[in-house]
Amino acid sequence: MRYYFQRVALAILLLLAVSMLTFGALNILGDPLFNILGPVAGDVNNPDSIKMIALAKKEFSLDRSLPVRYFIWLSDFVRGDFGVTFSSTGQPPVSGVVSERLPRTISLVFLAQMFAVVVSIPWAIIAAARAGKISDRISTINAFFLVAMPNFAIAVILKFVFSLKLGWTPITYVADDPLRSRLFQLLLPALTIGLPVAAVYQRLLRSDLITTLQQDFILLARTKGLSKTRILFVHALRPSLFSFITVVGLNTGALIGGSIVAETVFRIPGIGSTLVESIFRNDFPVVLAIVMIVASGFVVINLLVDFAYTLIDPRVRR
Amino acid sequence: MSATSVTPAPEDIIVSKKLGFGFWLCVTWVGLMAFIAIFASALPLKSPTANFLDSARGRPPYAPSWSHWFGTDKDARDVFSRSMYGARISLTVGFAAITAGFLIGGTLGVISGYYKGWIDRISSFGFIVLLSFPSLVLAILLTSLIDRNLLTVSMVLGLLSIAPVGRLARAATLQYADREFVLAARQIGATNRRIIIKEILPNVAIPMSSLALLGMAVAVVAEGGLAFLGFSVQKGITWGGLIQLGSDASKTLQDAPWIAFFPILMLFLTVLSLNFAGDRLRTFFDVKETTL
Repeated sequence: MRYYFQRVALAILLLLAVSMLTFGALNILGDPLFNILGPVAGDVNNPDSIKMIALAKKEFSLDRSLPVRYFIWLSDFVRGDFGVTFSSTGQPPVSGVVSERLPRTISLVFLAQMFAVVVSIPWAIIAAARAGKISDRISTINAFFLVAMPNFAIAVILKFVFSLKLGWTPITYVADDPLRSRLFQLLLPALTIGLPVAAVYQRLLRSDLITTLQQDFILLARTKGLSKTRILFVHALRPSLFSFITVVGLNTGALIGGSIVAETVFRIPGIGSTLVESIFRNDFPVVLAIVMIVASGFVVINLLVDFAYTLIDPRVRR
Repeated sequence: MSATSVTPAPEDIIVSKKLGFGFWLCVTWVGLMAFIAIFASALPLKSPTANFLDSARGRPPYAPSWSHWFGTDKDARDVFSRSMYGARISLTVGFAAITAGFLIGGTLGVISGYYKGWIDRISSFGFIVLLSFPSLVLAILLTSLIDRNLLTVSMVLGLLSIAPVGRLARAATLQYADREFVLAARQIGATNRRIIIKEILPNVAIPMSSLALLGMAVAVVAEGGLAFLGFSVQKGITWGGLIQLGSDASKTLQDAPWIAFFPILMLFLTVLSLNFAGDRLRTFFDVKETTL
């Protein structure tokens, strides 16, 4: 139990540090007042502007000191109030934007992760079983090629081949379509994110499997006359999954980065593309909220990965 | 490794004691790219910004031909020379970022691995905090807040490489910090500073050398991603920016795929070379490690 408490405490500490950094960076490196009012913020000689500046400062608590503002923001944030967007009306609230767009990004990242895991495990097992043979070498070369392909390049190539030349998949994402066709529209973006990641997973799991297959208990299983498939899938796989699971967890960050690119190329209104747009529009509360949500999600996933460890190998808890 | 294993480890069969032809091929490619990046303006390349409008061929973009090997873009600019000039920013940022990451992250990692204690705890926590942001998100966040030039973009990507470099340096240092030769050096009165530089660093440098190549590949890709999204160096040509230019409108991509695809090819070959060379170096040194 003590182990779990320690991990949760560390995660909370991390989130606090992350939120302070993000909030601090946006407030110190950026100019929140300018972001709200635009050029008016610098126009301090005009009485109208001074009035607007005073009003905006009060509304966004900019007249308080940075730590006070941080605590006001933090207490709102943990209660699910992410503030208002910097548009002329302040509508929709940031939490509305996020709750509309976050599910799309989550399903995209989930699809990509599923694809990568489902493809990489059998791929690694087959490659490990034939380690050193020509088919394994070809698969290693393929993996190398995929890893070296940046995801924005994959996105462009997939879009060119499947949307533009073959016309198999639609070019844009339509939010009002039924679920099934929306999932279909997420196919190429998910491949964009998932393909290089699958190759990373395959290389890792393959080398771990090869190490496991050298062990004595595999030899024992073989002398007992068990089939090769059974040894590979049942005996060798589980002990080899250890670093695989860590990397799958840690890679969620890369997947989120990939989803920013994929959403931008395939025009999906998820939080990744919203982040990019909001930065260009200087929409500070949206940027802050998205970065915090993404970082929190990432920290929580890593926490879950640590807990998943304890299920595979209970020795970790001690 | 175990003496009881009957079949030889398949990895041992593949691993040769030479770096191999592929490694040198990759190094040559990266060297060629670096050469082009440095001497681009002295080479007989077409101007990357000049307009090669040819009224006989109608409206640009023009498809690849003898006069324009990689074709031209919508403004009739030569894609070949732009791809060559693109190596400049992409490679400079990649190199500067990983250098900064090694200087700061490597130093922090070695110091925290050697001294342990509170220094280690603080820097390890710092590494975890940096790793808590998905890297592209942190890169976008920081580059959006600063004036984006060659130095600042390199520094942002350098900041991102601190944590992974530092963690590896720390782990490698921990392996050696309690070894006999370090103990012996301490016994004969060597200072900590001397031990770190003369005893630890040469050993840590071996696993780090492959990380330098792999890390540079990551930094080049990261710069490409930033440029693709519009967050890299504001003025100048980069591979990511060229790819973005060739693919932002579906029509451009469909009618003139060469605008995006040749820069993709350059980027791909460079990243592949860095990755492959780094990986070969890693297996090469691991073998050496076991024979020690």
